[in-house]
Amino acid sequence: MKNQTEINTFDAIVVGSGISGGWAAKELTEGGLKTLVLERGRNVEHIKDYTTALKAPWEFKHRTHLTKEELEERPIQSSHCNAGDKHFYVKDSEHPYIQDKPFKWIRGYQVGGRSLTWGRQSYRFSELDFEANKKDGHGVDWPIRYNDLKEWYDYVEEYVGISGSSESLPHLPDGVFLPAIPMNAIEKHLKESVSKHYSDRLIINGRVANLSEYKEGRGKCMFRNLCSRGCPFSGYFSSNSTTLVDAYNSGNLTLREHSVVKEVIYDEETKKAVGVKIIDAISKEETTYYAKIIFLNASAIATASILLNSVSKSFPNGLGNSSLQVGHNLMDHVVNEGTYGTYDGLLDKYYEGRSPGTIYIPRFQNLNTKTTNTDFVRGYGIQGKGERENWESKPTEGFGVALKAQLETPGKWKISLGGRGEVLPNYENKISLDLQNRDQWGLPLVKVHFEYGSNDLAMMEHMTKASEDILIKAGFENVGSYRNSPPPGSAVHEMGTARMGNDPKTSVLNKYNQMHDVNNVFITDGSCMTSSGCQNPSLTYMALTARACRYAINQFKSNQL
Amino acid sequence: MNRRKAIGGILAITGIGIASYSGVNLFHGKSNRGQLKNYLNLLSELVDVIIPPTETPGAKEAKVQNYIIDFMESCSSKKEYNNFLNGLTDLQDTCLNNYDNNFEDCTMNQKVEVLENLDSNYDSNSLFAKIDAKIRGRSFFNILKSLTVEGYCTSELGATKLLAYVPVPFNYKAITTIEPNQKAWATR
Repeated sequence: MKNQTEINTFDAIVVGSGISGGWAAKELTEGGLKTLVLERGRNVEHIKDYTTALKAPWEFKHRTHLTKEELEERPIQSSHCNAGDKHFYVKDSEHPYIQDKPFKWIRGYQVGGRSLTWGRQSYRFSELDFEANKKDGHGVDWPIRYNDLKEWYDYVEEYVGISGSSESLPHLPDGVFLPAIPMNAIEKHLKESVSKHYSDRLIINGRVANLSEYKEGRGKCMFRNLCSRGCPFSGYFSSNSTTLVDAYNSGNLTLREHSVVKEVIYDEETKKAVGVKIIDAISKEETTYYAKIIFLNASAIATASILLNSVSKSFPNGLGNSSLQVGHNLMDHVVNEGTYGTYDGLLDKYYEGRSPGTIYIPRFQNLNTKTTNTDFVRGYGIQGKGERENWESKPTEGFGVALKAQLETPGKWKISLGGRGEVLPNYENKISLDLQNRDQWGLPLVKVHFEYGSNDLAMMEHMTKASEDILIKAGFENVGSYRNSPPPGSAVHEMGTARMGNDPKTSVLNKYNQMHDVNNVFITDGSCMTSSGCQNPSLTYMALTARACRYAINQFKSNQL
Repeated sequence: MNRRKAIGGILAITGIGIASYSGVNLFHGKSNRGQLKNYLNLLSELVDVIIPPTETPGAKEAKVQNYIIDFMESCSSKKEYNNFLNGLTDLQDTCLNNYDNNFEDCTMNQKVEVLENLDSNYDSNSLFAKIDAKIRGRSFFNILKSLTVEGYCTSELGATKLLAYVPVPFNYKAITTIEPNQKAWATR
């Protein structure tokens, strides 16, 4: 009979099963390492647990609305979920945190994490992004360049399945693409108008992790546009539909759900992390698991909070925090609420099926001397979607037979555009632990302090004006924008809290996502990001994870960890 | 004697009563909720005037009245619940005063007249209406009409008979040419 330590000992532990944790699980298990994945939430079995996926609108008692009671439990998450997918979002009432200033921390505590509900937009970072900090002096320099990551982007894209078009843009590198999801009539009209009226910008097909073709072992997108309920056809990429399945099939995976990580345990003698202490979410019992390699993939805010709570003699300020950067430099993308307009024309055109994709206007500011903007550094991209009005959006008059006739037919074309801008790394934007206030597991509450800087706000204003200008030039009417921008965190792209860098004095991780201070701890979720770019970041997390796993496996096999 | 402990003991004994009592006070104020089931017949007739049966089913057959009650009871704000409930009682008063009948027993012409009067007092698209709705909640007719439209277009009968509903499109044809009598898609 094995003793408890032996039973609880693995080659590697991965904390978190979301988009980056799933990749770590796949790569490490396929690399031959016995791997334990710790997930704080419940299990979500692919297909079987997508309980709302095939429900028709009339099968929901309150349609997509949340009840008052559900809203009271979810004052924060409710802006991002509805009756169809609310079970993939936490109840804020059960998982409180402290907002120094308004900051939305949108979370999904379950196997698969937020990979079940992500927006699926997948864009590569470019050389421009990796050089940005060095060039304009904000933050610290990335320890890698585009060429370090290129083959890993290729590798993950091939596996994930990204529908997109090749455009030969140096600042938005092409990738390994499935056929793009085509543009509808109004989107094409806007694309042509933008090409005609602007020399500096263009519209491309959004790059999205939905399968436009069958992929082995998966399915293909059925164009239902209900992705966030989980896809019974495996039409989009999630940990549940792919990476965790492959990890399981390797025979090397152990997955423990309901495992709230309390701390990473550091050994003063070997100067390594030796394991992870968890609290069972249900029984509240503590257990320690041991491994030679630890990957933290709990998402930017949670990973930083685990590090800060892992206090030892060598690391009184949190594990691997000799730089005092852990928890700092929190970034999200700056988003505007959106710009919209309607179009009189193309009324003989329609579409069949519901696209899960978007159109995309890649960054067009501060690319070179010709596009220099004096109000801000870096830039933003704009995502958009065109459709014809239906009963939800069509203005109607009166009632009776006349109203019915108005509802029955498609309305005008409309387009909505929304910017996503790069937020600069700023030490003052941070998460910390409030030791006086604790959650139901006795863990200190996370306190978030985040404010947009002047650069971020200047960009927000620019993206709104540019979006309006683009629609007006294309002949749209009723063009307007929602002037209130949503609170930070709304893009659900939080990152930067344990950044990569060359210098251990100013960064937490090295160029292989390995802690400078503790070389058998790797962090490959959003925490590692040295700058935020303006691209949706999940693809970059996945590429960095695969690359770090290769390095870790080689180090493990040559006994260097 | 430990005073705090004694109070704690009393609270514990009467715990259930106190909890529910303060719950009502704290979260719902003087709540009118729970009354709409008494207006089921009235709502059935109202929704059927707003979306009447033609060659396709009307809102009453699609059970939109039940959706409206479910939504208003569970999802609406206190302001809008009160606006809606007051709107229903005002409407019955209007019918009794003008036609000596409940709305349900009015002639179709009378029903239309009553709703036309409410509709002409309401322009949901005007700036004033939008500001007013933010402050005081949407008006009775605004709530009634938008819930009827939503409830009907998301009902099985509305989505599949008046509109076109395809649960699994399979493919995406990004550009098609409108067919004669093209119906709008029920979902986005």
